[in-house]
Amino acid sequence: MAQTLIIQPVSRIEGHAKVTIQLNDAGNVESARVNVIELRGFEKFCVGRPAEELPRIMPRICGVCPWSHHLAAAKACDIVFGAEPPPAGKKLRELCNSVAYMEEHILHFYFLAGADFLLGPDADFSVRNVLGILQAQPEVGKRVVKVRHLCAKMLEILAGKSIHPQVAVPGGFSKPLAAEERDRLRAMAEQTLALAKFSLDFAEENVFQKYLETVKSLGTITTGFLGTVQDNGALNLYEGKLRLMAPDGTFTEFPYDHYTDYISEHLESWSYLKFPYAKKWGHFSMDLVKPSGIYRTNTLARMNVCDRIDTPLAQAKLEEFRQKFGRPAQLTLLYHWARLIELLYNAENTIRLLEDPEIISTETRAKATPRAARGVGCVEAPRGTLLHDYTTDDDGMITNVNLIVGTTHNNAPINMSVTQAARSMIHDGKYDQGTLNKIEMAIRAYDPCMSCATHRLDGKISLKISIFDADGNLTATLTN
Amino acid sequence: MEEGSQESLPAFCRAKTLVLGCGNILFGDDGFGCALVEYLETHCRLPEDVCVLDVGTGVRNLLFTLLLSPQRPRRLLLVDSVDVGSSAGELFEMPLEQIAKVKEHDFSTHQIPTSNLLRELQTLSGMEVRVLACQTGPRDQEIRLGLSPALQEALAHAVDWLAKEYFPVTQR
Repeated sequence: MAQTLIIQPVSRIEGHAKVTIQLNDAGNVESARVNVIELRGFEKFCVGRPAEELPRIMPRICGVCPWSHHLAAAKACDIVFGAEPPPAGKKLRELCNSVAYMEEHILHFYFLAGADFLLGPDADFSVRNVLGILQAQPEVGKRVVKVRHLCAKMLEILAGKSIHPQVAVPGGFSKPLAAEERDRLRAMAEQTLALAKFSLDFAEENVFQKYLETVKSLGTITTGFLGTVQDNGALNLYEGKLRLMAPDGTFTEFPYDHYTDYISEHLESWSYLKFPYAKKWGHFSMDLVKPSGIYRTNTLARMNVCDRIDTPLAQAKLEEFRQKFGRPAQLTLLYHWARLIELLYNAENTIRLLEDPEIISTETRAKATPRAARGVGCVEAPRGTLLHDYTTDDDGMITNVNLIVGTTHNNAPINMSVTQAARSMIHDGKYDQGTLNKIEMAIRAYDPCMSCATHRLDGKISLKISIFDADGNLTATLTN
Repeated sequence: MEEGSQESLPAFCRAKTLVLGCGNILFGDDGFGCALVEYLETHCRLPEDVCVLDVGTGVRNLLFTLLLSPQRPRRLLLVDSVDVGSSAGELFEMPLEQIAKVKEHDFSTHQIPTSNLLRELQTLSGMEVRVLACQTGPRDQEIRLGLSPALQEALAHAVDWLAKEYFPVTQR
């Protein structure tokens, strides 16, 4: 009898994501779909507002990556106001980006995805969490916690506060960095670098080698990749041009504001979220054997598209990574490995920026004048390429907004990885909690931000598996 | 700065009492907690050892920091809006044990249920954790800034509750 399995964390605003797995009469996986609730009406809300408000409003979209939205909005405003930030303004923004990245990547590796590896994917959910990690690896946990505190403190020093940042403004950065502050940050940055180096060594020895077979098999798909590089092809997370790499490693490059020439958005009736795809590669297809138009963003994509990393330690790790897995590397769980190389890059980049004498210049912002224009701001958010596309009228009021967030780029690949994982593990209708955990691991590799506006306090059921027969009758329900 | 020193901790870790206003101001009444923090900051004088923060939708990240911090406030109050079928603007304290224990899901920080983190904070850290909730009005289908009249009115009542239960509050 055909069955439908539904993995559904329910949230206060209709839910974050739901995984639906359709089994056929033989009990094998027919299809798997990840449904995501999309923020509604945001573009409409922005229209008619002064453009300079958007860098302050955008961090409110998402409590997980407010810095990325803040910086992408500020960059879009730079263009619509015709206000090129002075070098110190750009460098301070990039510095904030790198520190925020470190905080995010540390959290994800050690306390979100890390639980799967450090405690095992079959561990009960009640211990497969941050506290379980602290009990299992107390010394590692303490060290990680201290550096994460440091990152939050560094953002406080740089921006006045780390929550809902407002420091980036059209044309630059509103708070110059004092020499004394720079010196304090420099001492802190040394500790973040030490943790980044430790993390890669720790993961290579204790995680990646141990789970290499899982890495090679879980959620594996073949796609292209999208990410930002500098003119010389080096990795950059704040500024550059977009590079779209085909599965065979060939690539094309384009400036941010040409993204609509290369990226189109496919719609599926069963999903609120759009499916961006590379339209010059042909039609859209999530067929696992013969996909078309599919590309990925986020850490693995950035490691693939860049020619090199211009900080020495991260470059050495990238070379080792490529020796092991080639370029482009396709294994989905390598997102975790790539994330740690990025952690190291950001730690080095933080020190490089702090040692740049220009970072303490008091000239941090240019004069911004309202005008009719279109501006596309782009940064590499921890979860993928983030595009903010604004159009203004003569008074600098917003007339049009389009956003493509990192997780949206990865919508199709996440669906494909879940399908691959489900098909490889569910046979003859047999599955258990460990199977479902591993399917979730395929999703977690992408570090998705499922819905950029939800939070929950009074949620009741976070995971539910409903099994339906072919006629749509509920035959069984499993809950945690 | 020495690693792990108190100075290296965010300021909110070092307050005696921490009030976190939760919610998304882009969803009307959902932003009640944020609005209360703004009200406190603009209309009231608070004791020096009290820290109030508008944490928006980023509370989990901050609770992580608190949970893992070597130094924490003695008391933590979360202010949030909920929909439990009461009258719009009704205020009530929500005991932690009433918040269902659910799977510690881990797709992202969005999915780490705050309720479990709150319990862990109270159990493991000895911090007094309380939750003040306000019933929302009808749910908005689209983005809208600002509270409905009923929740706007509830702000002053929430301040009265704080003054009675928590710390002295005087009007500016």
